[in-house]
Amino acid sequence: MFNARRVRVWVGPAALVAAGGLTLTVQAQQRPAVPSSPAAGAPPVINRYCVSCHSERLKTGGLSLEKVVASDVDRNPDVWEKVLRKIRARQMPPIGMPRPDEATYDAAIASLESSLDRAAAAAPNPGRTATLRRLTRTEYQNAIRDLLALEIDVSSLLPADDSSYGFDNVTVGDLSPTLLDRYISAAEKISRVAVGRPGVSPGGDTIRTQPDLTQEEHIEGLPIGTRGGALINYTFPMDGEYEIQIRLTRDRNEHVEGLNEAHDIEVLLDRERVQLFTVKPPQRESGISEDYQPSHATVDQHLKVRVPVSAGSHALGVTFLKNPSALLETARQPYQAHFNSYRHPRIQPAIYSITIIGPYAVKGPGDTPTRRRLFVSRPTNAAEEERSAKRILAALTRRAYRRPVTDVDLQGPLDLYRNARASGDFEAGIEMALSGVLVSPEFLFRVEEDPAGTPPNTVYRISDLQLASRLSFFLWSSIPDDELLDVAAAGKLHEPAVLERQVRRMLADDRSRALVNNFASQWLRLRNLASITPDMRLFPDFDDNLRQAFREETELFVDSILREDRSALDLLRANYTFVNERLAKHYGIPHVYGSRFRRVTLDGDDRRGGLLRQGSILTVTSYATRTSPVIRGKWILDNLLGVPPPPPLPDVPALKDNTVDGNLTVRKRLAEHRTNATCAACHNLMDPIGLSLEKFDAVGRRRTVEEGTPIDVSGALPDGSHFTDVDGLEHALLGRPELFVGAFAEKLLTYALGRGVETYDAPAIRTIVRESRAQDYRVSSILLGIVKSTPFQMRKSR
Amino acid sequence: MIITKKALPRRTFLRGMGASLALPLLDAMVPSMTALAKTAADPVRRLGFIYIPMGCDIGRWTPPGEGKLTELSPTLQSLAPVIDQLTVITNLELRNAYPGTHATSNAAFLSAATAKWTESTDYYLGTTVDQVAAKQIGQQTLLPSLELAMDLLQTVGQCDNGYACVYQNNLSWSSPTTPLPAEAHPRIVFERLFGEGGSAADRRAALQRRASLLDWVREDIARLQRQLGPDDRARVGQYLETVREVERRIQKAEADSAENHLPDLDRPIGVPVSYGDHARLMFDLQVLALQGDVTRVITFQLARETSTRTYNEAGVADPHHPLTHHGNNPEKIARMAKINAFHVSLFAYFLEKLKATPEGEGSLLDHTVYLYGSGMGNPNVHDHMNLPILVAGGGAGAVKGGRHIKYAEQTPLANLHLTLLEKAGVRMDAFADSKGKVDELLAL
Repeated sequence: MFNARRVRVWVGPAALVAAGGLTLTVQAQQRPAVPSSPAAGAPPVINRYCVSCHSERLKTGGLSLEKVVASDVDRNPDVWEKVLRKIRARQMPPIGMPRPDEATYDAAIASLESSLDRAAAAAPNPGRTATLRRLTRTEYQNAIRDLLALEIDVSSLLPADDSSYGFDNVTVGDLSPTLLDRYISAAEKISRVAVGRPGVSPGGDTIRTQPDLTQEEHIEGLPIGTRGGALINYTFPMDGEYEIQIRLTRDRNEHVEGLNEAHDIEVLLDRERVQLFTVKPPQRESGISEDYQPSHATVDQHLKVRVPVSAGSHALGVTFLKNPSALLETARQPYQAHFNSYRHPRIQPAIYSITIIGPYAVKGPGDTPTRRRLFVSRPTNAAEEERSAKRILAALTRRAYRRPVTDVDLQGPLDLYRNARASGDFEAGIEMALSGVLVSPEFLFRVEEDPAGTPPNTVYRISDLQLASRLSFFLWSSIPDDELLDVAAAGKLHEPAVLERQVRRMLADDRSRALVNNFASQWLRLRNLASITPDMRLFPDFDDNLRQAFREETELFVDSILREDRSALDLLRANYTFVNERLAKHYGIPHVYGSRFRRVTLDGDDRRGGLLRQGSILTVTSYATRTSPVIRGKWILDNLLGVPPPPPLPDVPALKDNTVDGNLTVRKRLAEHRTNATCAACHNLMDPIGLSLEKFDAVGRRRTVEEGTPIDVSGALPDGSHFTDVDGLEHALLGRPELFVGAFAEKLLTYALGRGVETYDAPAIRTIVRESRAQDYRVSSILLGIVKSTPFQMRKSR
Repeated sequence: MIITKKALPRRTFLRGMGASLALPLLDAMVPSMTALAKTAADPVRRLGFIYIPMGCDIGRWTPPGEGKLTELSPTLQSLAPVIDQLTVITNLELRNAYPGTHATSNAAFLSAATAKWTESTDYYLGTTVDQVAAKQIGQQTLLPSLELAMDLLQTVGQCDNGYACVYQNNLSWSSPTTPLPAEAHPRIVFERLFGEGGSAADRRAALQRRASLLDWVREDIARLQRQLGPDDRARVGQYLETVREVERRIQKAEADSAENHLPDLDRPIGVPVSYGDHARLMFDLQVLALQGDVTRVITFQLARETSTRTYNEAGVADPHHPLTHHGNNPEKIARMAKINAFHVSLFAYFLEKLKATPEGEGSLLDHTVYLYGSGMGNPNVHDHMNLPILVAGGGAGAVKGGRHIKYAEQTPLANLHLTLLEKAGVRMDAFADSKGKVDELLAL
């Protein structure tokens, strides 16, 4: 046992309540009574196939197995887990060296795994999550939504989080002055809007449309018969009047683009028209040369309107009525994209920005979901105020702090309330107290501390309340709701049946979209789409509409796997996807019309569906000018196979003589590059995978030739299997489902725990994969597996 | 999206595509700001650091000749108007940035330290030169230092294998374990510098509210600290330091608001779409910050390492990072050099603005020193020697420009950091791996 002497299993109050808890715990508690199983040695094949290179003398790759094989497997779990990772992926022994047959491989893997798993079951090591973890800004945004029924744009309030291990919730232990400053400002802004109090003067906000958004066609969510524009969900802070100003896009000569005839612009509030404007090209003065372009400075000056709006969130739409004559002109254009005044100009005017200023003529805070959520008690006279405040703050802090609260907890917020009440009214007091709650470390940080009196290096089960937070931040990227808190506070959450019921309830809830737009968008790198702009000359038909469609497709796809509780393998093998007209045209799928996304089932050679055929992923793994088989290969090794190539070598300057002819095809250039042994060590793994996807260009379109040369899509996996094209790659990946599911589970566990997955987590990952196999790797079985796992349920004391 | 503060600008800070509109604002501020300008006997010393990622084409960067700087290289052409306040230093290196990675290039630039190889929360670097300066010369100003960047978007998985993204994203570290997040949103920068406007009474009331919130945070953190074990207690101790620092700022702001009524300032409303406009606006904000003496130490990351940004406005459609792996293809190098020159031209815009801003006997540029450069030398091979480095500004008479200092051998960049600290009035015996000072800068 690698740490049996140090790790004691501590049976504390939490564990006692847990009688009949998870198998793992029970085993752990009974351990002293179970006679130690006979020690297992390393399988003899290791000696035969591995030790000739990994000997004391050669230490190939810095690893010697010579001494390690001589002792019991469970004495060197770190070494063996690494060995397992290599042989499971068939990366070792290397191609070209003698390799065992599949049955021998499997037997060796099974033998090593069972030794390691037995040891882990006897002495579980859940690792240790950081005691203090700041909410990421996504979590903060969601927490505000759930706490106050208030949607905020967090990117205008808080700085971005740095990512590690591919996720932004790992390195979150710091609190710099800048950050604290921003937390205070954010809390003040949010509290003011939540309570609905006027600022010093009317405020304003300008929303820009993406500059490369094509606005010739209908945009989803806006009324039929309109084209272009934007639909904005905007929180109006109070009942009152708001001025809405519109500006149109201009070219470099300050001329409104595409303004050749009159166009009607409609302003909609919650889908109801509140104003119709007309914009016209400026009048030509007679007698002036045809070449003279009159100024456009004032053509959109009249596009402003003051409208009464009630406090709260409303959908503000600004769009053009479709001009019938425009259809003819559109038909002549070869491209879908129209935003660049030189290459494919806008045919008709487009919205550049929408500015909302207000409130003017303030009527009051209004009746908003936020106020209803916050003011759970309203005093009818001055004498009741203190009691009301206490009731409001008790409800608020319980949710914000994710635990039952006591009078002591309310003391600070109540003091803030009283001070502000003294110089203002009741609501001013609540606003101040709310600000206080939102800057409290109990809200901003997730705190997991060792129970008082826990001896060092002791494995213990986390409390039900801590489990509730782990669950809600894992599945919802947000705070627990009342039901989850109630179950946890009653001390029942750890009971397997209760836990499973809660997990299923939470997955069915809309908030589990966070698994798509927070987890999957990081895992699959969809987040990077926003920063990708393919070269306009080479990909003239790329615009923001397509970028958004890419993201939408993959999110809808992943969401469907989750909602329908499909097998995780469907992520690779599904024969359906989601497209709208824009994306369907890009993919060459016929008969799809309109901006709405719908599910399409596709079979045959050119089928889409499956992550490896989606524009989003094929584009984020490409450069702006071309595909990158290296990036695609590395992306698959990292994210789908869980065998990332080794880190960069310390002697990169040795590459100095690297002068590969830039005129060769990508395949040849990479091949030449790999003749350098230093490069080959990693590129032999990455390149052949990526090369099999070369029939997808840098924006995910199918192609067969590149610059006149037919594309060769033969590829290989590190296990030595050879195949061609995306079908072959998918088939090869699906041939070892445990690798893909294992990688998926590791990513989920990293995200769930907010720490890197370590070798001691490997037994837990294996358990998850094994138990989900019986259910055809259904997503719910994997997610439940994470929740039930030792690292999710337990923690080791300092 | 919620913005409830001051009215949208009547005179827009940034309208449409151009960022040049910040100038009238500058004028508007000058009267109230000159009260802070120091006399020549007590020069304000200011330090700034600009980072460019992925090195450059050093052939087009290095000026011909040595000693007096008479002729500029192609990449540096745009700096001609400030040539007499310019020192180019050739053959500086960052040994501690090896192994050659993007993460370590950025991390070592101002720390000259080795980044601990980890993706976990145990990241460890060193205190950066700007923060050492800030501890000394930043204490009299509202913000001890200001950290700026250009990348607004969060990306994932684009950091070097095995290195936490904190190394690649953050230039400034106030301790080996405390990276300082940089801000790229002009409006947020503006609000940090000048608050959210309103009358003097409004501003005072706002500061008092913040002060009482901070009192409560301090109590709450202290309460938390008592519950935790010794290791975590130390971490929370750092939080308390943070609280004290923010408290100091609020007190400073309260004191300032009593004696120095800010004019009606217009906040920038959004982020300009073009990179160049955005960068110029960020530079305008630095002029304001320095001129108003809101801070004396600034760091600015002009782009992130491994950035795949395309610079169409500079006539380069290729994404930056892959272009820097040019395989010695002369056409690619020429395109990369265009990006290098474009970055320099943005800096030149800033220096000219500083020069045009009078302060005391001379200009703002006379009282400021900026270091501009990269932590990577040749990006094609990821090395960290012969870095592109230049120093601009007068440092209140402490630095005289018009020089090309060319070392015969690779010399630690830390020598320059140590020298700049001395110029700014911070005396230290050594900084990171320094082996001396840049005597040529001192001797002048």
